[in-house]
Amino acid sequence: MQLGWCDFLQRELGDQILDLRQGFTSVSILWKDVVAHSQFQNKLNTIAIRPLELSNKIWKVPVCYGEGFGKDLETLAKEKKLKVGELIEMHASVAYRIHFFGFLPGFMYLNGLPERLHSPRKAVPERAVPRGSVAIGGSQTGIYPRESPGGWHIIGRTPISLFDGEHNPPVWANSGDRIKFVPISSSEMERLIENPPLPNYK
Amino acid sequence: MMDHAFATILKTGPGTSIQDLGRIGQSKYGIPVSGVMDERSFNWINHILKNKENEAVLEIAQPGFQIQFEGSTSVSIAGANAKISLNGLEIDNAALIKISPKDTLEIGAFISGARVYLGIRFGFQTQEILNSRSFYEGLTTQNQLSKGSKIPYFSDSEWSHRSFAKAKWTTDWYLSQELSTYPGPDFYLLSEETKTNLLSGTFKISPLSNRMGIQLEEKLENELPELPTNPVYPGTVQLTSGGKIILLAKDAQVTGGYPRILQLTPDSQSILAQKRPGDALHFKLLLP
Repeated sequence: MQLGWCDFLQRELGDQILDLRQGFTSVSILWKDVVAHSQFQNKLNTIAIRPLELSNKIWKVPVCYGEGFGKDLETLAKEKKLKVGELIEMHASVAYRIHFFGFLPGFMYLNGLPERLHSPRKAVPERAVPRGSVAIGGSQTGIYPRESPGGWHIIGRTPISLFDGEHNPPVWANSGDRIKFVPISSSEMERLIENPPLPNYK
Repeated sequence: MMDHAFATILKTGPGTSIQDLGRIGQSKYGIPVSGVMDERSFNWINHILKNKENEAVLEIAQPGFQIQFEGSTSVSIAGANAKISLNGLEIDNAALIKISPKDTLEIGAFISGARVYLGIRFGFQTQEILNSRSFYEGLTTQNQLSKGSKIPYFSDSEWSHRSFAKAKWTTDWYLSQELSTYPGPDFYLLSEETKTNLLSGTFKISPLSNRMGIQLEEKLENELPELPTNPVYPGTVQLTSGGKIILLAKDAQVTGGYPRILQLTPDSQSILAQKRPGDALHFKLLLP
């Protein structure tokens, strides 16, 4: 629904908008001037938005689970009474929908983590989660685009870069696209980390 | 004559950065606005220097700053009230200072306020990333300046600034303890009692404050639920379940999950930018 609104606002009123921000339950608009704001407020009730037809794009993101890249993988599997392999399979089986970008530049809020894998955030956050870490926090999963403090459980790492400020746009995916994690071996990881590829999509 | 020149930092405390008005319209990639904490001082500097309105300046958050200029230019200082010297001699009006080659400018003790701004004719010319020179970790190659940093600028020996000779920067405006705010999107979730405590209380700035956010010492008890992650802006006031009040600043994330109880006006954000740990403030609610 938010994607529908963003699309409508961008198309119809894009020239009056400075910035459009999306969250789970709201969309915020930064207007260029007060007139645009009040005009929009007056006709807000007359606008009917249909949910946008969602993108079919599925990005494949290679992830090395565990193996020194996912320090919390075994503990989390034990807590969930799963074998490590089962947890990986479950996490990699879903095509996660990108809701929006937030938290850090290039961080994607993803939807679709299987309920069995939901897990409360750590009581004490880590001081430094490495760049590329794939993690689970609450009902969400995500990738840290750069080193950052963080309270999510780290299960693996991707060699792919999620954000490049020298490119415009600085990210490769769009809100509404989907992300699928593809497990890779540690030797594959070592190889890819030397020369990080862009992800493929289908 | 306009020439490329460098200014070299001889001495600085932590937290010195290059800032302009920041990156508007990049939040869809998760990129914060960044930019000067105190827009009022920034606008004044570019006005005095007859610059375009978004030329980059230095934001200095600690006393003990020294910079040497390679070529002639004019600079302007605003923001916090600090002791300023040129080649070792104290100057009493730093609104507009004529710089000759090899001049050294020093910013000493802060008398009041928390951030000094140093602007230069035509603006500092560090790298531009996504339409802004504002430093931000992971975007610009530097996220703060240090001793030895060289900052490019255009020297200009011919510009006359006689007409502004008497302009003087005032600092009374940021001594006000009152921050004007609008109700935030989640204000209506607060109980009447919490609203009263929020709007009638006096709060002190905590030392746990930086360019991402400014925390307050006093807690505000509340029974608000955790909320879904939604948009936040510089000037958004968040209330955590533990009662902590956080006033988001320019480097804040673009989305957050704490209830958004207030939204500061741009002028109040400039006042807040000049507050130091321990300073007192209270909120005044404006109705939209």
